[in-house]
Parts: sequence; structure tokens; C-alpha cells
Amino acid sequence: MLAALAVAAVLTVIYVFGRLVYDGFQLAASRRRDKGDTDLPPLWRDVQGIGIAAQIIFLIGLIVLIRYLWGNFTARVDSVGQDLSFDFLDQPSGITIADNPLNPNNPVSDAIVAGFGNTIRVILLGIPLALILGTLVGIARLSTNWLLRKLATGYVEFLRNIPVLVVIVFVWSGFLNGLPRSQEALKPLGGWFILSNNRFAFPSIKGDGNVGTYQLILLAALVVAAAVWWWRTRVFDSTGQPHRRVLWSVGTFLLIAVVAYFALDGPIATSKPMLDDRGRVFSDGIRMVMPFAALVTALVLYTGTHISEIVRGSIQAVHQGQVEAGNALALSAFQRYRFVVLPQAMRIAFPPLINQFLNFTKNSSLAIAIGYPEGTSVINNLFGQSQPSSQLILILMLFYLTFSLIISAIGNLINRRLQIVGR
Amino acid sequence: MTNLPSNTTEANLVGEEPIAVERSTAPSTTLAPVDWIKQNLFSNVRNSIITLIVGALAAIAIYSGVRWIIGADFEIVRVNLRNFMIGQFPRDELWRPWASGLIIATTLGLVSGALAHNAYDTAQQMGVPAHRDSYPQLVRRFWPLIAVMIFFVSFARTVLPYIGLASVFVVVLLFREIGWRLPASFRSRVVYVGAILAVLSMLVIAGTSNLGGLAMGIIAAIWMASEVGRMTPLPGMAGTLRTFGLSALAFVVAYFVVALIPFDGFGWEDWGGIHISLFTMVIGITLGMPFGILLAIGRRSNLPVIKTASTIFIEFVRGVPLISLLLFSNLMLRNFFPLSFEIPADLTMAIIVITGFSAAYIAEIVRGGLQAVPKGQTEAAQASGMSPGKVQRLIVLPQALRAVIPAMVGQFISLFKDTSLLSIIGITEFLRVTDVANAQPAFSGKQLAPVTYLFVAIGYWAFAYTMSRESRRLETKLGIGVR
Repeated sequence: MLAALAVAAVLTVIYVFGRLVYDGFQLAASRRRDKGDTDLPPLWRDVQGIGIAAQIIFLIGLIVLIRYLWGNFTARVDSVGQDLSFDFLDQPSGITIADNPLNPNNPVSDAIVAGFGNTIRVILLGIPLALILGTLVGIARLSTNWLLRKLATGYVEFLRNIPVLVVIVFVWSGFLNGLPRSQEALKPLGGWFILSNNRFAFPSIKGDGNVGTYQLILLAALVVAAAVWWWRTRVFDSTGQPHRRVLWSVGTFLLIAVVAYFALDGPIATSKPMLDDRGRVFSDGIRMVMPFAALVTALVLYTGTHISEIVRGSIQAVHQGQVEAGNALALSAFQRYRFVVLPQAMRIAFPPLINQFLNFTKNSSLAIAIGYPEGTSVINNLFGQSQPSSQLILILMLFYLTFSLIISAIGNLINRRLQIVGR
Repeated sequence: MTNLPSNTTEANLVGEEPIAVERSTAPSTTLAPVDWIKQNLFSNVRNSIITLIVGALAAIAIYSGVRWIIGADFEIVRVNLRNFMIGQFPRDELWRPWASGLIIATTLGLVSGALAHNAYDTAQQMGVPAHRDSYPQLVRRFWPLIAVMIFFVSFARTVLPYIGLASVFVVVLLFREIGWRLPASFRSRVVYVGAILAVLSMLVIAGTSNLGGLAMGIIAAIWMASEVGRMTPLPGMAGTLRTFGLSALAFVVAYFVVALIPFDGFGWEDWGGIHISLFTMVIGITLGMPFGILLAIGRRSNLPVIKTASTIFIEFVRGVPLISLLLFSNLMLRNFFPLSFEIPADLTMAIIVITGFSAAYIAEIVRGGLQAVPKGQTEAAQASGMSPGKVQRLIVLPQALRAVIPAMVGQFISLFKDTSLLSIIGITEFLRVTDVANAQPAFSGKQLAPVTYLFVAIGYWAFAYTMSRESRRLETKLGIGVR
């Protein structure tokens, strides 16, 4: 893999270099053709000429620098006998990962994949929660209720100005010291929740033998609901009657779901988390290790403050005249928000929101401080098993880079569709 | 990572006149307490319900929080106060940090006083009502910082820190007064004096070295260049020669003055606590700024090679978490030094990486500012026959940089907060002292971590919150975002 990368890099450099020299000759040739025209500046005072020369010098400097650093790197690595290949990925990892069946004899690559899987789990749970919290707090900061407004401001101004790492370790140490051991776990709300400084457990749903059929029916119901949505839109477009498509399609979906539930004799049931008498073994429900809960809580609290600032700023940025125009058209308060303010605020809020999602992703790497085995933490543990650090850091950076690129590519795509065309 | 236009900043960057804007405020209406409560808390049924529910929840949260704080044992902070401030710095050399702190107080007082007077003069010349901040106003502006410094000192077990803090306050106010009263010719040069004093404050702790000489030399050279700029210009090559010659001379003199004075100190292997956090932030910004500006210009250049290289660097650094860069500095960076080279300290490596990190972020901020400078400015400059370098240096950059000052302060804040990540690679900065303290035999196993984390959080908060308030103030003052 490394060899392929190196070849690609060399080929690129050769291409760029050749291109530059070619451009230079083209320029010189065109100058020679125009010889005698005294208005033309000499080549070294020609902006194009200077540009080409500057790029050639820059490129040579860059190549020399990289060559020098690479030379130092290989010399150092050779002197300690470190291997630069990626063969270690198939070797036993020597580490275990919480809540994962992997054992120390499984290969390194499996451990890394499991770690990044955990990163994605944190993101998938955390970003929606942060978005909800941030939106609520952002609206609360614009509330006419003095108490609500001040509390929201206090929360934002305090948490926004302390490092996310401090928030993470603070929440983690709070859970660790503030919650009882699992032998004396808290079981609020009739035991549907279990909180201990070892694990958290929440209720979930589980299915019996018919659950596969039920899932298929739900999928079909989704399609039917979409069709109903389309039909109501058509009715609205052609007759101008109120479409009420949300009501219609959600109603259809729920109706099918409920009928099928009883027809299949209750294919799904709630699953209540259980803890055995000795306080050791958790079962059923959704179970998570405490560092995961701490990490998600802290990141949601922290990112929520930033999102709330974005939400508040975007709503305030919508021109006051728009609201007044909505009033003049006799829209209700809800309609004014839904059809006038929010669509415009969303357009403003979207780019910085994508930035916050990226920050959330990057900040999830701080789990390294509290030992939740997400990508960075797993790789840090692998350093401890004297796995080669250079390759692992490369993998680590490439993962986050890919992730960031994907998120911002999707963001750019959506953003382009959101923006008003023609401005 | 994003090429997304960050609308909020850009909207804010629309060029505005540099006028100290006095916002007209609505005439204040004082209500009777009962009316106020009625209007703000119980104006209708929905509001009343919100007030009751939120009020009850807040009361429970505040009650349990206050009960926890009152019940908490802060002995661990008292014992480790020095560790929190300066880490393992040799205890019989404590005069150095204090002297350094007093020099910084002098610098802040002098520079802020002089700059405030300059701003006052500018505002008056433009016919804008100007005023000078009174002492109560200063206290109101900087209350978080003042309160937290007093909070820190209140944990001290000797009287010395009280005296020290009091003298810091006195020195700041005294030199602010002096800075205000200085003649205009000196006030316009105060930034350079401030920079020299700032370097001196570090030399008091670190001792004189080549590095200190280099820093001093660069400041002297820039100062000299600006002094030459004030002289009557010489035509053609002679002017350039004079500028470069005198700057080089100033550099050499300053370098040798500092490097040749024998004065020993303690390198940053011996530093720690919040001192390292603040130092890393300042050094990261100072070193990152020039690289960041270059990267921003590079990214906007129409030379494809330079543009691509700048873009790749910026997007790479912004696309990976800082912790992965710090792991790189800790485990991998040493390999890029030649074999004969002695491997520098961990903090040096971290500072190298942090410089690149802040350069990439500063580059994106500056790029926003560059984009906000109307194209007509460049074209007008080109039409009057300026070289591309001069167009950037004299026309575009000053406008761009002025527009991004608030965003830059935002970057200071986030870099300051990011220094807490140094704790993960084992550098004893502010946050890491909590681990040290909780591992002490007297405190281990007593579950005091939350207490120490709270103390640290308040410390970070004071600095970051003060900076963010100042940035908001600057934003109003510069008229950015006022439409």
C-alpha cells in the first residue's frame, strides 16, 4: 500500500513539474514570437513568468524538504529496528475492548475496526441529542420568560468557555463518584432504568419469532405512507384544498402498524433491563458502560451550547421585516415560524451546524482520557502493546480525515440545495 | 474542513467604517418589582407554567450543587495551589514567576492605557462621542478575571500571594495611567515596547538564550522597519537598502545584547500549571499568525501548485482531531530530526505541532477576511501601479486583518481551551495537576477528583469568558456586524 502511495506521489510530482516547465517554455516561445514588440515586459518581470518560476522554486524546495525529513525518518526508524510495513495488522492485538467479544488473540485490525465502530456509535447517538438540546436551549435564550432565558444564558456561557476535555472528565468523575456501585444500583421509575458507576441500562424493545414479518410490514407501511404524502400533495396542487399530508401519512403508517401488531399477536415487546441479585450481571434492555454514557453526556452538553448559539443567531438573523410581513398576511404564530422564519434561519444555520458535527466527531477522540474504547483510545492502548506507532497514527489520522471529508461533502451537497438559487 | 461559507462570519465582515458606534439604547423603564415579575415571569398561563417548572428544577439543581460545594473538602486545592499555578517550578526560585507576572501586568497596563488613549483620540477626530473607561467600568469589563484571581489567592496559606496579587492590580492600574498620559509619539510605538516587555517576562523565568535573542531580534527588526517607514522616504533602491540595513543592524544588536548577557533560568521542562497553558496559547498564536497569513494568501493565490499545497495542509490539519496531532508530536515527530540531533523536550514538540494547528485555523479566519475586502480595493491598488506584494501588504491585509479581530480572539479562546489536551500526552499543565494532586498519598482514594476538576473548570472559564466578552466588545467597537 505504501509503495503504491509513493508511486502515485512521485508520478503526481513529475506531472506537475513537467506541466510547469512546459508552461514556462510556452510562455518563452510566445514571447519570442512577439519579439520586437517593445511594450512587452522582459520575462523576469512578466507576472506569468514570475508565477511559473515561483512555483518551480516552491516545488523544488518542498521536494528537498520532504526528501530530507523522509531520510531522517528512515534513518531513525532503522536505528531502532522498527518495521514500517503493515503486517502487524494481522498479529494478535493483546488488548480487550469493553462489551466486545474480541480477545487479546484477535488481530490488531479487528480491534481497530471495533474501536472506530464505537466512535460511530458515539456520533450516531450524540449528534441528534446535541441537536435537540441545542435547538431547545437556543429557543429558550429568545424566550420572553426571564427565568428561562437567564438560566439558558448561564448554562451556555459557563459550559461554552471551559475546555471540552474538562467537561468530559468532570462528568465522568461525577458519575464515578456520585453514583453507587452496581451492587447498590439506583433503579428509578420502577426499575425501568438502572444507574450505577459501572453501567447504565435503559429499556428497549425485543421481538419474538414474528418480528421479521412485522419489520417487512412496517417497511411496506412506510412506502404506503410516502404514497399517501404524494397523493395529498397532488390534491393540494390541483384543487387547493388543505393537504394535511403529515397527518394523513403518519396516520396511515400508525394504522397499519397497529393493525399488524394485533394481527401478528404482539410481535414486539418492551425489554426491561435486569440486574442479578449479586449486582454483577446486567441483561436485557440497552446496556452501556459508564464511560460511554459520560462521554456522550459531556459531548452533548458541550456541543449543545455551541449549537444553541448557532440556532439563536440564525433566528435573530432573519430580518424583522419578514416576521412583520407574515403578520400582515395574517399568518398564525405557528405558521409564521414554520413557513417564514424557520426556513430562512435553517439556511443560515446549516454551514456552522455542519462544522459543529465535525467538531463533535473530532472531540469524541477525547474518550482517550476516560478510557472508553473508541478509535483513538484503542489505538492508544495498542501503543501500550508496543505496536508500531507510526503506522497506527497514520491510520488514526486517515480515519478522521475520511470521516471529516465525507461529512463536509454531504454538508456541501445539502447546503447547495438549501441556498436560494440565483443570488 | 469545510468549504462552506460560514454565513454568520461573512455577513459580519461587510466592510464598515471604523467608528466607535454608540448604540442608542431604549430609555430605561423602571418597573415596580411586582409589575416586573408579572411582566417577565407570569405574563400568561404558558409563561407561568414555564416559570414554575423551570424554577423548581433550577432550585433543585442549584440547591444540590451548592450543598455539594459547601460539603466538599477544598484542602486538596489549598495544598496544591502552587502546583496549579506553576507546576513543579523550583520552590526557591519563586521570585521569577512573580517578577514575570509583574512585568506582564506592567505590559498590559501600559499597552492598554496607551491604546485606549489612541482609540479615544481617533474617535474624537472623527467626531464620535468618546469616553474613557472609569475604574468601575474596568472592573465591570474584567470582573470574571478579577474574581477568579481573588478566588485562586483565597486558597493561599501564606500572606505572600495576597501581597503579590494586590501589587499586580496596583501595577496594572498605575501603568495604565502612565500609558494614558504618555505623549502621542510614544503611544504609537507602545506595541513594540509591549512586545519587548512580554519577551522580558519570559526571559526572567527561562534565562537568556539564543531563542530569547532571536525573539528580541525579530521584534527589534520589525520596530526598526516601522521607524524607517516614518522617515522621509529615499527614492528607489536606496530606500530598500536603508530599511533592510537598519533592520538587520537592529536584529544583530538586540540578539547579541540578549544572547550575551549571562543569566541562567529554567527551561520549560521545569514549568507547569496554568503558566504552561497560558504560555502555550500565546506562543501558539504568535508563531501561528505569520504562517496562517501566508497559508491564507497561498490558498487564495492563482498559482495552482501553491494553492494546492496550502489547501492540502489546511484541510488536513483541520480534518484531524488535535489529539491525533499531539500523539504524532509525542511519538512520531522525534523521528524527523536527524540522528545527530538531540531530541527536544515534549513541550517543544507539542509547540511545533500546535503552531501548525493554529496556523491552519488562523488561515481560514484570515481567508474569510480577505474575501470580505472588496475587489475594487485590489484593482484600485493595481491601477495605481503597486506591485502584488505591496497590494497585499499595504491595501488588502490591513483591511482583512482588522475585520477578523473578533474571530481571531475566538481562536485565542479555543486554543487556550485546547491546551488542556496537553495533559493527555503527559505535560503537567493546568488540568494535569489534578491527576498529580489526586495521586498524592494524602488525597488518593478520597474521591476528590470532582473538586479539583471544578476548580480547574472555573480557572479556564475566567480567562475564556473574559476574552469572549472582550471580543464581543471589540466587535461592537469596530462596527463589525452592525448593519
